[in-house]
Amino acid sequence: MPLGSVVFAFVVGGLIVAVTGGNPFNAYAGLVCGGLGIGCTQGENPALQISNTIVFLIPLITTGVAVALPFRAGLFNIGAEGQLLAGSMACTAIGIKFSTLPAPVLLPMVLIGGMVAGALWAGVAGVLKATVGAHEVVTTIMMNYVAQWLLRYLIIGGPLQLAAGTSKSLPTGPGARLATILPDDNSLIIFGLPASVYRVHTGLFIALVAAAVFAFLLWRTTLGYEIRAVGQSQRAARYAGVSVRRTIIVTMLIAGAFSGLAGAVQIAGVDHNLTDKYFSDTTGFDAIAVALLGLGSAFGIVLASLLFGALHAGGSVMQSDAGISSNLVLVLQALILFSIAANFLGAIRQLIPGLRRGPAAPPPETPTAGLMTEAATNNGERIKPT
Amino acid sequence: MTALSDILHLLITANLWQAAVAAAVLLLLPALGGVISERSGVVNIAMEGMMLTGAFFGVVADLAWHNPWLATGVAIIAGGLMALVHAVVSIRFRADQIVSGIAINIFAAGITVFLVNRIYGIQDIGHVGQSELLPNINVPGLAQIPFFGMVLFQQNVVVYAALILLVLVHIVLFRTRLGLRIRAVGEHPQAADTAGINVYVIRYGAVITSGLLSGLAGAFLAIGVSNTFVPNMTGGRGYIALAAMIFGKWTPFGAFIACLIFGLGEAIYANNSIIHASPYLLSMLPYILTLIVLAGIVGRSNPPAADGIPYVPGSE
Repeated sequence: MPLGSVVFAFVVGGLIVAVTGGNPFNAYAGLVCGGLGIGCTQGENPALQISNTIVFLIPLITTGVAVALPFRAGLFNIGAEGQLLAGSMACTAIGIKFSTLPAPVLLPMVLIGGMVAGALWAGVAGVLKATVGAHEVVTTIMMNYVAQWLLRYLIIGGPLQLAAGTSKSLPTGPGARLATILPDDNSLIIFGLPASVYRVHTGLFIALVAAAVFAFLLWRTTLGYEIRAVGQSQRAARYAGVSVRRTIIVTMLIAGAFSGLAGAVQIAGVDHNLTDKYFSDTTGFDAIAVALLGLGSAFGIVLASLLFGALHAGGSVMQSDAGISSNLVLVLQALILFSIAANFLGAIRQLIPGLRRGPAAPPPETPTAGLMTEAATNNGERIKPT
Repeated sequence: MTALSDILHLLITANLWQAAVAAAVLLLLPALGGVISERSGVVNIAMEGMMLTGAFFGVVADLAWHNPWLATGVAIIAGGLMALVHAVVSIRFRADQIVSGIAINIFAAGITVFLVNRIYGIQDIGHVGQSELLPNINVPGLAQIPFFGMVLFQQNVVVYAALILLVLVHIVLFRTRLGLRIRAVGEHPQAADTAGINVYVIRYGAVITSGLLSGLAGAFLAIGVSNTFVPNMTGGRGYIALAAMIFGKWTPFGAFIACLIFGLGEAIYANNSIIHASPYLLSMLPYILTLIVLAGIVGRSNPPAADGIPYVPGSE
């Protein structure tokens, strides 16, 4: 099903390129080269392209988990972006404030600080949902914008600004940085380029650990059982003695911590300061597609992150080599979302005689609750609750 | 103390309120769309994308035909077509309406820039000439009224249209048979169906209307307020409109008051440098206010009962 959605998106995306006078095969060749380093014709370095894809993939895994976990509890976290920004702001602020501390002290501080900030950001939505029933979709959207404006304030005229007239923050201290995987050495040549060119960093391992923690939490702990129980049926969970309110708040706090970690790792591993690049960051929204495409499982999320990481890295090569705007990647992403949500493939299958549908499925108790429940993923058929 | 008196002084200038009303209308049109869509039971967080699509196609049409009225028509239709996608996906395919809304917004952000690139090459889309903008109209006679004349009757043509639409939407929703049907479908579609109302037709109509209104807002933004298209030029207004809809408790006039508050905030920091708080901090206010409303501090705000739930005939 997920693979079919991707194929659907690429076919429709190709049609859009063709209709507007472009060559879809050239466009996709550029994407494949830029994303996977395969079949490059314009002298791109395959190893560098793969390194770029992995750099994009790292925050996608962690935020993907931050969307997938609340899905299991029937909560829709559209706020991963705001939580990520909160994490990156906290990481930068701590990294600047305590810039003289050594790495063994400062690095845990910035990463944990990012997690706490992200958790608080998501916690607002969790508390409002649990206490007054405010819909988490709306509250997390609002928190996204609060984060975006706070970021602008901090680095344009605010306390973290590098210098008047700039729109970036001071750099974090050297102790607040995650090491790159390859040595930061200009004289060492790897795959034809100096090792320092490859930006792939040790945050990759943090992201993979986050995915493993997510899976362990969900399937091997009492809390994970409670989260799944609440997602299946709040009423049944309540009868089973689960505190629904507590579970909702805790779920959002953990999800926010994952997103905040993604933001902190991005600062610590890649940028080392906040820049205006973060104004247009979309990682937290990509994460929704990652979580849906990955069917809410840790392994699926890693695979889906790889796809979207490759699309992002490939977009710029597609633009320079094939002359097709990298924004086609957004179009593809939207098409994947449509296809998953609407189950177009199921509809197409129904049109084939002899495979016509049985009785219509009853409506879900709440629309989002059913999205990622076990029933939806276990039969592997469609992300629609039965 | 001087800062406070400066603000008070600013608040009695007609210029400020004129700008506030224009800014409010930009939010009001998609907010009205949201009210209609959600009253019929279809969650709509896609106003942002519909507005952006409208803005883009409005500029394209205006550059091609040099006619702002035609261009506005194109923008409205473009917004409506995006809404049709949302309607088909969430009504016919019973998809998750939030996922569909997000997809619409991402799709709009991507396809508009993609098309700028395909149609105009890599560079800028170009500017719409002064004569091709939607005009400001001074209402004869009324425009001369002190203060209110400037605030209400020296405005862009879209502002007048929006204020008329506000009254119209209110009347249709609460004073007509059609409005009763829309609300019935949003509160209890099974009962509405039993009473002979076609749930699907009402919902399709409501969602498409939200797109038409958002498209008009896009036209106002691109060829009324501004004179070109820039990527992501809606800048979250569709989401503020969503906030206004909730703030206004899913009613047209409630949403309008929220839009006025948000628009006034925008006008205060856009027009003046005497406020010493960062404009970025002020920009947070609409969202924080909405969170406060949602927290129930200023009264509860509850969506229609069947909002967001796909309708399946014959279900309980």
